[in-house]
Amino acid sequence: MIELTPDKALRRSPLYRRHLQLNAQFEQLGEALVVGAYSDTGMEPRLAISLGLADLSCLPRTGFKGPGAPDWAATQGVEIPSAPNTALAQADGSMVAKLSHQELLIVSGMQGDSGLVDNLNQQIPGTGVYSLPRADSHSWLAVTGLLAAEMFSKICAIDLRTHKFAQGQVAQTSIAKINGIIVRQDLGTTPCFHIFSDIASTEFLWDCLLDAMEEHQGVAIGVAAIRSLDATE
Amino acid sequence: MKLLTCPLNGQRNISEFTYGGEYHPMPDPETASPRQWAEYVFFHDNEAGVVIEWWCHTASSFWFLAERNTITDRVIRTFEASEIFQNRIDFAEPTNGEKK
Repeated sequence: MIELTPDKALRRSPLYRRHLQLNAQFEQLGEALVVGAYSDTGMEPRLAISLGLADLSCLPRTGFKGPGAPDWAATQGVEIPSAPNTALAQADGSMVAKLSHQELLIVSGMQGDSGLVDNLNQQIPGTGVYSLPRADSHSWLAVTGLLAAEMFSKICAIDLRTHKFAQGQVAQTSIAKINGIIVRQDLGTTPCFHIFSDIASTEFLWDCLLDAMEEHQGVAIGVAAIRSLDATE
Repeated sequence: MKLLTCPLNGQRNISEFTYGGEYHPMPDPETASPRQWAEYVFFHDNEAGVVIEWWCHTASSFWFLAERNTITDRVIRTFEASEIFQNRIDFAEPTNGEKK
């Protein structure tokens, strides 16, 4: 069996050094490698219900901006959230966040299917629509678990408790002094906060999050745990 | 921490915002004298009283306008730039022989 290491993949996460330090087991996803799990004990799905941090930076995503962007995306079969700063899960599992009246962020589902993202990227945008690629500009982290909001209260000024910050809500704010987009899109019944932020600062944000999670026994988790939560009803 | 209300993102800590200078209506670039244009681009009135200012919510790069009393530092209201700017402004090609 060939060992999968990030240096052999066409695309790797900006956090690959951190993953190697944590003895991650990688798995192939398209042309990228993602972390399947960090330990082989099978405990990660259970730990993720409490507090987990996953790196989804290698999953497909894109964006579009401009006065014609929402209408154009709708003609491509995208279901558009009704108000700015809200997100909507699509039929194929991907998610679309409306960041302002004229800006959309489109990300794949947890399986990493790039269908919708690829389809939109291959179209020639209509008038007043500008492509805003997000795959190389923004990292994508996911914080899962019932203790996530309590952990966030140390590093973020927005109240993310689940009765205050509803499913599908979006906050563009400062997280550990890093500007980022937070989207709540639960995995089954487990709260999940997706963070999109400047890719050059990903290692800093990852370290800050793990540090803030430590007192709650939060751990890094792989995509296998994320997918198992996503599959639960 | 002071708080400011972004028209798009709601109330946030002032540390999430960047000041962008006073707002003044743009003079017609075709008819404005060099002095008028320089005043528009570079000069501030620095008025003591109610002024309109540009602010940017840096986490979302959203520019908006705020009406603020500079004596009391009280923000009277914030509003989207679309209240003033309805259409894209295109500048005409120079007609007096100037090079771009």
